[in-house]
Amino acid sequence: MTVLNEDVPIGTPPPPAGPTVVGPAGETARAADREARGRRRGKNQRFPRADRLAPYVLVAPAVLIIAGLRLYPLALGVNFSFTGDGDRNGQNVGLDNYAALFDDPLFRESMGNVGLLVLLLPVAVAVPGALATFVYLRVPGHRVYRSVYFFPAVLSPVIIGAIFNLLLAFDGPANTVLGTVGLGPVDWLGDPDVAMFAVVGVHIWATFGMGLVVFLAGFATLDTSLIDAARVDGASLPLVVRHVIVPGLARTIQFVVVTTMIGMLTSMFGLLYVMTGGGPEGSTYLPEYYIWFQQGQMSRPALASAASTVLFAVMLVVGMLQLAILRRSGRED
Amino acid sequence: MAPLRAGRWLAAIPMAALAIATVYPLLFTANVAMKTRHEYVLDRFAPAEGLRWDAFVTAWTSADMGRYLLNSVIVVTGAVALLLLAGSMAGFALSRLRFRGSRVLYLGCLAALFIPFQVIMVPLARTMGQAGLIDTYPGLILAYTAQFLPFTVFLMTGYYSGIPAEIVDAARIDGNSLYGVYGRIMLPLGRPALLSVGILDALFCWNDVLIALLMMPSAEHRTLMVGVTSLRGQYSADIPTFAGGVLIAAVPVLVLYLFFQRQIASGVTAGSTKG
Repeated sequence: MTVLNEDVPIGTPPPPAGPTVVGPAGETARAADREARGRRRGKNQRFPRADRLAPYVLVAPAVLIIAGLRLYPLALGVNFSFTGDGDRNGQNVGLDNYAALFDDPLFRESMGNVGLLVLLLPVAVAVPGALATFVYLRVPGHRVYRSVYFFPAVLSPVIIGAIFNLLLAFDGPANTVLGTVGLGPVDWLGDPDVAMFAVVGVHIWATFGMGLVVFLAGFATLDTSLIDAARVDGASLPLVVRHVIVPGLARTIQFVVVTTMIGMLTSMFGLLYVMTGGGPEGSTYLPEYYIWFQQGQMSRPALASAASTVLFAVMLVVGMLQLAILRRSGRED
Repeated sequence: MAPLRAGRWLAAIPMAALAIATVYPLLFTANVAMKTRHEYVLDRFAPAEGLRWDAFVTAWTSADMGRYLLNSVIVVTGAVALLLLAGSMAGFALSRLRFRGSRVLYLGCLAALFIPFQVIMVPLARTMGQAGLIDTYPGLILAYTAQFLPFTVFLMTGYYSGIPAEIVDAARIDGNSLYGVYGRIMLPLGRPALLSVGILDALFCWNDVLIALLMMPSAEHRTLMVGVTSLRGQYSADIPTFAGGVLIAAVPVLVLYLFFQRQIASGVTAGSTKG
């Protein structure tokens, strides 16, 4: 959400095209603008009409695609979730889909798993954070780690899922290793109590490099003299982290928390599809997988739309909560 | 200082272990792909007896990976071209031109950044179906463009904001129209950002499976990643060939990573420190 902040300048330089003031254009500003434009049209030959149209022509393709294929479907989908499936196609059914949704054990399972993801979020943020700290402090070999850690993040979840299908197979290498130390075997992807943790673990393995790179970019903006001063004063590493590094990285941490959460809620489909197919016993369902299943396999698009709306609401709530918490803790520091 | 230095070496051990854990799964898969089925069953870890390419050849020919690869190349090329064109035009206008409604349009693009595909996939599939675009290349290209355009516009707007306004003014005084300024000045100046965004967009499109599954249902239109998902069922008894097919799909991305790691990282971190 940091992207919404003030630093991105929009239209900062005054181009010669006109005195139009963009921004909180009140009615008066608009009237003045119209007036100015009217005057210009008569007298000023240097700025032909084509130039006033040009900005709109330039933004048109992007705006049309985004409005038509992202914003409009969002509204359409919310609307659609109040209509029926099958025989009742197109009819208004009120909240029936939502009632059906929360009656469905599969959907409840998927929401439970969302809760699990939220609980595991601190781990998914702390791991790249700690590793980035070590890389920043020039642990031996730090140059190599950055490239190595980041590389699974560019692989498709489908490829990662396929590789881990081999590694985590019941007769696969993971259990062979466990067996040599006298443990297991664990049915990683076949045990309902284990499968979700296995999939989330693989997801974290595949994406921690992303968070690491973002943390390192944040470290690059830190004032090194502060850290040096703290060290000269004899501060231990935990103290330096607590009082110098964490406050200095508040914004980066916020960014990683939000993007990691969004990643967990929306980019695990490939892993689920390849590794478990939602099973065993529906234990690895997530809302995104449920939506796909109801839409594609069960031909219940209206029910799927209701699930989409719930997922969107969950993401909004989780996002806002996180921002609120982070902002408060940021103020205390 | 002394405890810190000791701590560094202490930290290096788990970090090296993790680095191995990061690379090992891929090396393991490569090793499996070089084995015969017999070798794999006997010992999963032992190094393959020699460099055998049979698994790759089988996966390429009998699993139709070539066809899937071509589909992916067509779709990714089309989508990235469209993304860069529409994204740079909008980025230029939103950062360097003043016009009524520009702020609203920019905020609209940003808002779209936070709409996940899963939330709009049902109505989008329906709209695409009504337009006759399901199971066509243009349909998938358009779906990818819509998915990654907000991100592209955001990055290009940020990049062009850093280009001095005087350059635009000077070009105008030299008699360029705004389209001329875009084509002759902004497009060439935007090359570093276009490269970075383009590679990232290409990765996103290449790696996707959900949108492709939804938009391209028929077997002959499968993208490479959808093709990989069907390998498992096809070669459940022939693990080396399965591993070979997975690696074929991974190679283009690995090559891209080796050459453009810096650009990929800079795209991923955009918006985290400034903006």
